[in-house]
Amino acid sequence: MTTLATPRPRGTFGAIRRPRRGLRSLRGIQGMRRATQAAVALAILAIALARTFSTTGGGPAGATTPEALCPFGGIETIGTFIATGGYVPHVHAANLVLAVALLLVAFFARGAFCGWICPLGFLQDLTSGFGRIVKKRVPPVRRAVRALQIRARGLARLDRPLRLLKYAVLAWAVLGAAYFGLMVFRDVDPWIALLDLGRESAGFGLLVLGILLVASFFVDRPWCRYACPLGAANGIVARLSPVFLRRDVAACVDCTACSRACPMGLPVATALKITSVDCTGCLECVEACPREGALELAVGMPISFGRAAH
Amino acid sequence: MRIKPALYGALVVGIFAGTIAIAGAAGAWQTTGRTASGTGSSDGTGAGSSAALTGQTTTEIKGWMAIGDVSIAWNIPLAEILAAFDLPADTAPETALKDLESDLFSVSSVRDWLDAHARDAATPTGSAAP
Repeated sequence: MTTLATPRPRGTFGAIRRPRRGLRSLRGIQGMRRATQAAVALAILAIALARTFSTTGGGPAGATTPEALCPFGGIETIGTFIATGGYVPHVHAANLVLAVALLLVAFFARGAFCGWICPLGFLQDLTSGFGRIVKKRVPPVRRAVRALQIRARGLARLDRPLRLLKYAVLAWAVLGAAYFGLMVFRDVDPWIALLDLGRESAGFGLLVLGILLVASFFVDRPWCRYACPLGAANGIVARLSPVFLRRDVAACVDCTACSRACPMGLPVATALKITSVDCTGCLECVEACPREGALELAVGMPISFGRAAH
Repeated sequence: MRIKPALYGALVVGIFAGTIAIAGAAGAWQTTGRTASGTGSSDGTGAGSSAALTGQTTTEIKGWMAIGDVSIAWNIPLAEILAAFDLPADTAPETALKDLESDLFSVSSVRDWLDAHARDAATPTGSAAP
């Protein structure tokens, strides 16, 4: 195992890398990732605003509906599309195209849709980032949150079983759409609630949105971890992906910076390969790693077995 | 084999955007209107094929749909619908519902009226009123 007492030339295997903090963290790959997320979010915002203020309304000649830009609509309508060739209400051909795009990304780049494209994930990242700033700058908030985390420490054992909840949500949404011919998940979908803000009543979805934004203040990506059915579908295909993160024990100094940086709470520091279905491909762990080559993306056999991060 | 993070990012964006671009070039990128379940798939053109009213449920009525289509789907004379909402008798059947909105008329009021009309038609007495 390499130690900090044996310095290597910069850029070579095992060399020390100075972690980027604050705005400097946006240089390099994280800047590229955040720019992609922001571009997608702004594009959808523009379409939603155009729809809200549209004079042509909906229909074939009307304004694009932002609901047409959600891949999950395509996944929900798969059963109906296969059986009848049509779609459930509120779904368009674009939803199916985006579902295909998501599944291709899941195969070739693991969970990268979640980490690079999903606007709801981006919103959670922004909320979590805001929470970190508040906790850092406002000591009473930091102390209160810390006290709450200590009291809630026992809940950590619920993390793993709760991560299975999203598969139940996926099954309910997909099977419900196939059986009833409409999107049963739509009424509780926080993304639809966000798109419908200012237009019409968002119902229970607005409550879900509020809960996940508050939760984002305390936990990174709570929706992605526990309830997102799109992430669940993505994860099923991502399990087959030949792309994964690999930790080189020769270069690793066991600082656990990678595990602490992971927004999905994966135990990166104790895994040889990170093939978890919860990995969003955000590469925050790679960015946080102080050793060149200790953590890197690799291509290998799909469905990796062994000591992987789950 | 190692992959550089920048290449990984480019791969993600490239696959996602590329899929959309290919769908657009093939005419499969449709974001407006819809094809209802059971009425066949979209013809693949940019405009797509709009949903046909079936008269089964009022929730399928949208503002961009024509008042004449509502009349046909629910088998109610157009004149009766126009009279119920105090609309001009010479209103063209192809007029979109959203273009007729007023204090008395809206898409939701049409849905409510049709639901009430259906309930009244199912009972021996009573008549529908807006």
